[in-house]
Amino acid sequence: MLRAQSLLTTAAATALIILVGLPVLFILLQAVFPEFARGSLTGAFSKLVILTENDRLMMQARNTLLLAFSVMIGCLIFGLPIGILRGLFHVPGARVWDVVFLIPFLIPPFIAAIAWMMTLQPRGYLFQLLGFDMGRFLFSFTGVAFVMTLNLFPLVYFAVSRALEMVGGRFASAARVHGARPLQAFFLITLPLSIPAIAASLLIVFAMSIEEFGTPAALASRTGFEVLVTGIYTRLSDWPIDLSGAALGSVMLMAMVLAAFTLQNWIATRRSYISQTGKPADLEKADLGRWRWPVLGLFALVALIGVVIPLAAIAVTSFMGTISGGLSWSNFDLRHYEPLFRSGSRAWQALITSGWLAVLTAFATAAIGGLVAYIVVRGTGRGRAVMDGLSVLPNAIPAIVLAVGIILFWNSPYQPLSLYGTAAILLIAYIGILLPYPIRYAVARLRQISGSLDDAARVAGAGQMQALRHVTLPLMASSLIAAMMLVFAIASRELVASIMLAPAGMRTVGTFVFAQFEQGSVQTGMAMSMVAITITSGILLAVNLWLARQGSSAFSG
Amino acid sequence: MLRTTALAASLGLMGTLAQADTLTFYTAGPGGLADALADAFQAETGITVNVFQGTTGQVMARLEAEEANPQADVVVSASWGSAVDMHERGLLMEYLSPDAENVPDFLKHSHYVAQGISALAIAWNTQSGTPRPNEWTDLASEEYRDLVTMPDPAQSGSAFDLIAGLETAMGDEAWELLGALADNGMIVPGPNAAALNPVLQGAAAAVFGAVDYISYSRAAAGETVEVIVPESGTVIAPRPMFILESTSNADAAKAFVDFVLSDAGQALVADTWMMPARADVEGLRPGINDLNVIEVDEDAVAARRDEIIARFNETVTNR
Repeated sequence: MLRAQSLLTTAAATALIILVGLPVLFILLQAVFPEFARGSLTGAFSKLVILTENDRLMMQARNTLLLAFSVMIGCLIFGLPIGILRGLFHVPGARVWDVVFLIPFLIPPFIAAIAWMMTLQPRGYLFQLLGFDMGRFLFSFTGVAFVMTLNLFPLVYFAVSRALEMVGGRFASAARVHGARPLQAFFLITLPLSIPAIAASLLIVFAMSIEEFGTPAALASRTGFEVLVTGIYTRLSDWPIDLSGAALGSVMLMAMVLAAFTLQNWIATRRSYISQTGKPADLEKADLGRWRWPVLGLFALVALIGVVIPLAAIAVTSFMGTISGGLSWSNFDLRHYEPLFRSGSRAWQALITSGWLAVLTAFATAAIGGLVAYIVVRGTGRGRAVMDGLSVLPNAIPAIVLAVGIILFWNSPYQPLSLYGTAAILLIAYIGILLPYPIRYAVARLRQISGSLDDAARVAGAGQMQALRHVTLPLMASSLIAAMMLVFAIASRELVASIMLAPAGMRTVGTFVFAQFEQGSVQTGMAMSMVAITITSGILLAVNLWLARQGSSAFSG
Repeated sequence: MLRTTALAASLGLMGTLAQADTLTFYTAGPGGLADALADAFQAETGITVNVFQGTTGQVMARLEAEEANPQADVVVSASWGSAVDMHERGLLMEYLSPDAENVPDFLKHSHYVAQGISALAIAWNTQSGTPRPNEWTDLASEEYRDLVTMPDPAQSGSAFDLIAGLETAMGDEAWELLGALADNGMIVPGPNAAALNPVLQGAAAAVFGAVDYISYSRAAAGETVEVIVPESGTVIAPRPMFILESTSNADAAKAFVDFVLSDAGQALVADTWMMPARADVEGLRPGINDLNVIEVDEDAVAARRDEIIARFNETVTNR
């Protein structure tokens, strides 16, 4: 019996080490040994002087932290008020607002940034409609932070509203029963008890802003504002390349994200503030009364800025015959969509490539992630402890860092199996980047499934593998499917690893769009984005509806 | 364990499939041309061409990153100096295509030959409400304050060549001009299309150092942009095409170079509004003889690349 488990543990550990462990190890080696990529270990630590001599890296690190901190504040401003209102009151159309605030997740950040550029820059859409522009605001530190905030504030909105629903319903009514006034109950009970959840969501925002590539890539060169991610990208994609600098930047980036995630994990699991029984509590939400219209106005305002404007700018641009033609009906043209639906065109190939890559990634991450989760939750002994540590690793590795590690590892002179320059390398990268989602979903689900079901099967004579196949796996299926859909949605438009790793002759949706903005036509890029956003949101909506019928939500995990 | 083995096996299979009778072609933009050449070549020879298309900076970076394990067979860069540099490092295969006979002498070498030629120009939005600029120096005047963009020479090989050319023609005055442009609020938003896009929407009025064929093709697509080549002179950016010494597929690589220089290949080059490399193939736009071309000592410039980029960053980008 134990043999089966140790076999599973070995398989899962091998997968994690190859996908994530070794690339990270090669980054560390490259950071220490500048000649490592050429197969030599001379000059150890000689490049570390970059940190003191060339303060560009330090400046990028400072900018990164400053930006992440500002985005955190921004998300608090955008997400907290509507999150509190949604959690404590009967907001008309609450379910609709939830769907609306999911949309920012579906707009690739790079596209959103270009959309804001087309809208706010001098002579942009805002000027064409209302006669003034906000170019100075957009092309500034504040502007970059603003655009990134709009991508991430829904995280805070959902975390806050869920936490308050739990706390506000139960504990606040207890306080009210004991004579507290509503505001007293809110500030003394509800808010303090919700702070861990809010803080955890802010730290995720922090980590995600540190990793974000698309927004700084689109706006940073206009603002002269460099962050670590764009710095690493430039070091690797502009000649002459600087492998050691990229590796050093990657180490700094990893350290920041790891710190944020460790803190987040500590806050989230330190003490059980919230009694989550899994049963939907009988939520007693207050009525808004005469505040109904002002509150709806606030929701509408946030939706307008966060969702409607960027989406409209993307759509409008994709329908424009010429950019210089501006906003006018005579300039309306569908021609930029034509190549996307012409079978065999490069755009069509990019859609197909991203499609099958995303499907393969979804299946592979679900298989590996499910296995890892099973061992973390159900395993015993040393194997479990090792796996617990390893499973955190993918979380802490930003996509760009993994891409750097993959180049160093799979293209190194020590590597006998050369997958670099093949489609397989992209698949490997996608799996490594997206593995955290199935692990997180499956772990959460497994913790809900009582181990006694497993034991019952074993008592009835089933082997461990049999129990896994016939009892645990079917129970995990719905959460794994939800994770697979999320993985599919993200993988189908992945940008940074794709531009760094895609072999010659291979185009994905992400690289196609990126290339359109660098060398092709903005309208074609936007048309492709529209198609990709429509497909992914359609899939996510369908799955969410399906899961809702099953009694759970894909986004509550 | 079984699962990882199966995964490794299937990944390995995908790896070998990509190696079959194919040619790998790295090229600077435009993407449409690379695809058209690849498709036409495949139709003629049955050899699949895998294209990686990026900026000159991205192409060169990829070549360098892959030095230990080279992937590309044929390369087109947008900067003549990059071919000179790679030849000096012994990375290029000697090959002079028979089809290069009609390429002017200064556009060919034993190891590399021009695919097509672009010239650097001012791209001006005719609806911008600014007067039509005629000279490079015009863009430093008050009328164009905050309205000029320029491609980043670190990313765009042709923008680099323009700086080198202006330096040749004007000496230190070229750097004074760049400083004055920077003082006038000129922005450097990225490679060529990134510099042109704000001009199309009207956020800026003119590109200093636009690659002419991109602007010509946009104008042909109906955008209100005009290509102005200053009479004081401009540089041309011939785009060197070469075969890497490391190629394992030399015959196919030579056949591809021949094809690009054939009547059919040069017609595809001309379709992008570039000047074809062969003097006997007609372009869609004014040719080399209609321009006042500044002669640049490519060898000397290639050696000073880092220094010129650093000085540009000092003068314009990071001031």
